[in-house]
Amino acid sequence: MSLLEQRYRSVLRLLPASYRAEREEEMVDAFMELSGEAPDEVNPRPRWGEIASVLSLSLRVRLGGAGASPRFVAWGEAVRLVALLGLGYQAVGSVNQLLQWGHALAFGTHVAWTGPPGSVERLVSIVSAADLCSAVAFVAIMRGHVRTAKVMAAIGVAPTLVYMLIPMILAGPLTDRPLSESATLVFTAAPVIALLLGFHSDITPRRRSWAASLWPAAAGLAVLGGTWLVVALRPYDLDWLHLWLGFGTTILVWAAGAVVVLARRSSPPWALAMTATGLLLLAVRLPLLDNLPEGASWTMVCAQCAVLWALSTALAWMGARGLPGASGTSALTSEVGERSG
Amino acid sequence: MNITEPMFLAMTALVDEPRHGYGIVQEVDRLSEGHVQLKIGTLYGVLDRLSAAGLVELDREEAQQGRLRRYYRLTDDGAKVLREEAARMAATAEAATVRLRARTAGGAA
Repeated sequence: MSLLEQRYRSVLRLLPASYRAEREEEMVDAFMELSGEAPDEVNPRPRWGEIASVLSLSLRVRLGGAGASPRFVAWGEAVRLVALLGLGYQAVGSVNQLLQWGHALAFGTHVAWTGPPGSVERLVSIVSAADLCSAVAFVAIMRGHVRTAKVMAAIGVAPTLVYMLIPMILAGPLTDRPLSESATLVFTAAPVIALLLGFHSDITPRRRSWAASLWPAAAGLAVLGGTWLVVALRPYDLDWLHLWLGFGTTILVWAAGAVVVLARRSSPPWALAMTATGLLLLAVRLPLLDNLPEGASWTMVCAQCAVLWALSTALAWMGARGLPGASGTSALTSEVGERSG
Repeated sequence: MNITEPMFLAMTALVDEPRHGYGIVQEVDRLSEGHVQLKIGTLYGVLDRLSAAGLVELDREEAQQGRLRRYYRLTDDGAKVLREEAARMAATAEAATVRLRARTAGGAA
């Protein structure tokens, strides 16, 4: 075996074993014919373009593209569900923010949200309005418009990432920064990365109803109304209550969803997607323990983390058990999209 | 299904005879006059999609220098889809040509 063939076979190890078993020999044959004679003395290597094409093929196959085994179809479905759940969360957040801005502008309250005209705060508020693109991205993907969704999601998340990354970079090595910053960064970027990778060209997303597509608007209204109600009614001696607002409400909703997925023994992609989103929530919540003094609030955050960990573990166990074999043929019903063809 | 340029060219390469991987790469290069040079990873992604859609299928297998060589052929469904896509592209090209002709005539007047 020539050095070039040896190196190309190494590149092909990027592909899943089940795919390699089916395709490796003919891919090597085609590559070696394409490359022609290349003596070992010239230290030949596959070109970067060839390596990139294998990497791209590998990602598509691992995320349920054409030619993927049922196990990878399930993984691809899970990644797409993470994108939908994450974008749904971001959409609720951006609708909530829009309503707060509207209230501040209409009634002249909470000026800190918008800042005085011409101020830096006002500029930041205006740039932050790009968050609304996340809501557009969610509606677009629910209605089956993949390209629009990807562009809008990237625009929507960009200001947040920039605000987070610039201080992180300016303040020194990333490894010296608090864990909470990295966790928030991953939490923000993960749904967009899942959208970009999961909805590849082999996937035709399901076109859902307008009612299903617009639920974040209703949820945003409900969250805002609930928050105002709790703030208005909050007894002064219950400081821990604020831990159930905003992000805390998300944990509550996620936990209810996790119980439903477990009780109904939903498909492995649902269990895996809920595991991933649960661990993301846990990664953001856990560092809060460092910043709280021991007391009711600390205990409350501990309880939230324990719930997230316990339910995520149960979901992971259920999802892993239900996954089809690497080369199995078990049927899997797609809930997010269908493969082209 | 959305027919991309590499898919269109790969199907076109299989119209006259079954070809193996490198044969398709060569033919696509010839058909596109060097504009499209398929990488091997891209080619097999295209073949996976076309096979999954029933537009191409395995014709035969041969062993060459100890390595497997698979030949693919265009199916009847593939020929139909290719014909429709070619007609659509021809209509688009014709519309562009007509508009360019009108623009040239307008400029000359």
